[in-house]
Amino acid sequence: MSSDVAGSPLAPVVPDQPRSGDRTPPTPSSSEAPPRRRGAAAAWAGLKRFIRTEKLGAVSLALITVFVVMAVFAPLLAPYDPLQQFRRNLTEAPSGTFWLGTDDLGRDVLSRLIYGARSSMIVSVVTTVVSLVLGTLIGVTSGFLGKRKDMVIQRLMDAIQSVPPLVLLLFLAVVLTPSMSSTIIALTIVITPSFNRVARAETMRIREETYIEAARATGSSSLRTMVKHVLPNMAAPMMTMASLLFAGVIIAESALSFLGIGTPPPTPSWGGMLSSGARYVELAPWMIIAPGLILSVAVFAFNLLGDALRDFFDPRLQR
Amino acid sequence: MQADPAVRDPDRVADAGTPLLEARDLVKHYQIRKGVLGRPVGTVHAVDGISFAIPRGKTVGLVGESGSGKSTAARLVSRLIEPTSGEVRFDGQDVLAMRGKEVKALRRRMQMVFQDPFGSLNPRLTVGDIVGEPLEVHRVASGRARTDRVVEVLETVGLSGRDLHKFPHQFSGGQAQRIGIARALATNPDLIICDEAVSALDVSVQAQVLNLLKRLQRELGLSYLFIAHDLNVVRYMADELCVMYMGEIVERGDGDAVFADPQHPYTQMLLAAIPGHDPVTARAQERGVATGEVPSASAPPSGCRFHTRCPAVFDRCPTEHPPLYDAGQPGRVAACHLLDEPRQVQRA
Amino acid sequence: MIRYVLGRLVYGLVVLALVTVFVFVAITFIPSDAVDVMLADTGATEEQAAAMRSELGLDRPVWEQLGSFLGNAVQGDFGRSFYTDEPVVDLFLDRIPITLQLGGLALVIGTVLGLVLGIIAAVRRGTATDGAVRVTAVTFLSVPNFVLGLLILTALGLWFAWSPPFVYRGPTEDFVSWAQHMAIPAIALGTASMAGITRMTRSSLLENLGSQYIRTVRAKGAGERLVLFKHAMRNSVIAVLTLIGVDLATVLGGTVILEQMFSLPGTGQLVYQAVLDRDYPVVIACTIFYAGLFIVTMIIIDLLYAFIDPRIRAAREAGR
Ligand SMILES: Nc1ncnc2c1ncn2[C@@H]1O[C@H](COP(=O)(O)OP(=O)(O)O)[C@@H](O)[C@H]1O
Ligand code: SF4
Ligand SMILES: [Mg+2]
Repeated sequence: MSSDVAGSPLAPVVPDQPRSGDRTPPTPSSSEAPPRRRGAAAAWAGLKRFIRTEKLGAVSLALITVFVVMAVFAPLLAPYDPLQQFRRNLTEAPSGTFWLGTDDLGRDVLSRLIYGARSSMIVSVVTTVVSLVLGTLIGVTSGFLGKRKDMVIQRLMDAIQSVPPLVLLLFLAVVLTPSMSSTIIALTIVITPSFNRVARAETMRIREETYIEAARATGSSSLRTMVKHVLPNMAAPMMTMASLLFAGVIIAESALSFLGIGTPPPTPSWGGMLSSGARYVELAPWMIIAPGLILSVAVFAFNLLGDALRDFFDPRLQR
Repeated sequence: MQADPAVRDPDRVADAGTPLLEARDLVKHYQIRKGVLGRPVGTVHAVDGISFAIPRGKTVGLVGESGSGKSTAARLVSRLIEPTSGEVRFDGQDVLAMRGKEVKALRRRMQMVFQDPFGSLNPRLTVGDIVGEPLEVHRVASGRARTDRVVEVLETVGLSGRDLHKFPHQFSGGQAQRIGIARALATNPDLIICDEAVSALDVSVQAQVLNLLKRLQRELGLSYLFIAHDLNVVRYMADELCVMYMGEIVERGDGDAVFADPQHPYTQMLLAAIPGHDPVTARAQERGVATGEVPSASAPPSGCRFHTRCPAVFDRCPTEHPPLYDAGQPGRVAACHLLDEPRQVQRA
Repeated sequence: MIRYVLGRLVYGLVVLALVTVFVFVAITFIPSDAVDVMLADTGATEEQAAAMRSELGLDRPVWEQLGSFLGNAVQGDFGRSFYTDEPVVDLFLDRIPITLQLGGLALVIGTVLGLVLGIIAAVRRGTATDGAVRVTAVTFLSVPNFVLGLLILTALGLWFAWSPPFVYRGPTEDFVSWAQHMAIPAIALGTASMAGITRMTRSSLLENLGSQYIRTVRAKGAGERLVLFKHAMRNSVIAVLTLIGVDLATVLGGTVILEQMFSLPGTGQLVYQAVLDRDYPVVIACTIFYAGLFIVTMIIIDLLYAFIDPRIRAAREAGR
């Protein structure tokens, strides 16, 4: 299985080895061919290459890891209970006791920040994953069906996208009872058309590839062709899109909480913290600066990751 | 399309028994639609009434300039697209009457090799998965047995088990095309349709792949529908030759005979383009060589479709569509009114 | 050309109709006790609640509601506010100028700054200036507009003890007050577009100039350089226009939150207040108005495209 790892002669039996003019992509020679790489191993190899070639991507991954750790281990990391009110320490400036100060109800800002990562990450991860799956499903189906059905589906998507996202979210806030799952549903409705758009365009492109015709000629069913040949070939742009939209979802989630129609208080959320801080701009600026910065850094990390993924997958930039 | 007397009787085409594949009066028209409502604004005559037969164990070549309808013909006989009209028989069965499962069963026996060696291989799959796909699709073999079979066909085409886990981009064009051939061989088909299978390759590599295909034919008793725009390549491969122009077969006959003595001015033109091909140079000097652009497939010229470019054009050509006339030797036909002239002279 | 414009208008109407359908299908998901919730504190009787349900149309099937809405809409009646009984159209039209001022200012600021920074970065490609511009762009792309607004407010409050006016005065009424009021939210809204446009201008200019530009810069005089630059700029503007179209939705949405923060009585504030009040007719109509606004602007951008580049026009006319 792994006899081809290293040191194998350039060509085994193949006579047409000299690769003169015939189309040879700039790739490592076959002697460096990687061993069988599937699933986890392939992902790991890809990740290592990504970190090696995309320095900023590596930075973004490090930042994202910090956020994930914050969200997952919040109870271990937070110095205090985020809901505990220190009545004697209202709007206290940052100090050795309260590293990032306290808010108007005497709650520890740092602890709320750490717990806030939870709501933010849960909403963003679930929304992005669900929209990615839904949008891909709709886009691929639409692109495959073509003609009238495609036309109807795409006009529906246009309709959703023609309402400015925040207005649509407000409208949906009226329709749904406020809760975390409502926020996720609303954000999913807003984000799905974007995934659909990319998935559809990719499907249209891939559909014309010869390997799709080859699969059909081989006897592969439509379903199999989609799963085995279409989906894997659109993974790159979809991942890039997911990363960029993830950033957008973080913003939208905090905007909703800021407006008081997202994560309901007292559950800590960055948007909610900003909204209470907005009332104490001069009295307790740390109530704004801390969540404002962490929110921006989170968005920054995912934007950066999206950019890095785009470069990483761009064939014109192959190193 | 007029009925073609020469093909009505299949025995005139096939030399022994029923042919493996038979196409009769195949037509494929594409509607060009425009606007939101899809108003048809024209019709592309991609394939316009072609007939041919592939005898078992033989190679039929299909030549013609780009756009003459060769790929469309290949897709029609393998039922990748539905014809506007016509008939296709594979091993005596009516291909166009086949439903789901039968089509799938047909695919198992009829495989394809495409022009672009890399384009026809999914870049995200390993060689093992690419070549193993037909085995999986047709439930021929799985697991260990699948791997064994894949290695076997890889070795047959000159690759090896070491290539199993590599990706297409790690190969040269010639090697990639071997992978495509291995995939076609996996299910032990009877017929392989090679659509410009070597056109994208270097000349030296071309020869190797062609030799491989020849060897496979000898060893496995394969039949080929061999499509190319390069006459030299087809000449090397084909037992019988069909020359296509604008969706029609304009000349058909034994490969060597057609090369030695082309009857249709279009065939002569194609041969004249080959450096140092004597019979044609002679004729071309007689009549002058055809030039000019291929007319639009959505507005084919009236009468003989070649008349806009033909150096021998005369009064009948623009008005009367030439049927396939007998062209001397048995099995040879060509759609040119010039072949009708001597007879008229005799009759007179 | 006329046919192209007509085609775009028809398409816009179709999409707007679909938005309306979507809105009415969605409101069927409103929990049935919404009216009870609404009237909980008012001490209304059950009859009043029933009257309200029927006025809202919550007791009728969606298609009927949709039909009567569309029937009234073509006569210019989009319903009345539940609380003030004013026609929603009037409410919306009264406030839209403020929202358009804010959104327009934001887009102008974003586009101008973005183009300037993008050109600078492209011309100084590879230098420290280029690097600084690009880092600035990514940074501003990442700070949500309302956070930026808050941070600016905080900074101005802390360092200069300054805060913007609380009461809105129109530009003709009191220009200075208007400018002070609009400045921060417009900047906060515009920077994200600025960041995107900077990046787009830079990459598109570099792509269009390519090696040819570099060669000409070395070999030829300034005049020819300018010609080439103009040519590249024209292509870049097309790319930037696309981006503005994309930004438009974000900016329009952003006005909602910034109007609220800076007490600007625009349509954003109207919708937000209506959402808090559960003033369904206002929310429904405003959602559709916003979509209409967006669609109209997109059509204008499309026409601008065609105006800038006749080739695009030809291609689109052929494709449609
Ligand atoms: N799906 C299609 N729709 C419209 N026209 C087509 C389609 N496929 C092929 N054609 C047209 O049919 C003609 C024959 O094409 P093709 O069979 O690919 O030629 P060849 O393989 O000989 O180069 C060309 O004019 C081509 O443009
Ligand atoms: S029929 Fe006439 S135009 Fe056609 S090939 Fe023969 S001579 Fe030429
Ligand atoms: Mg072809």
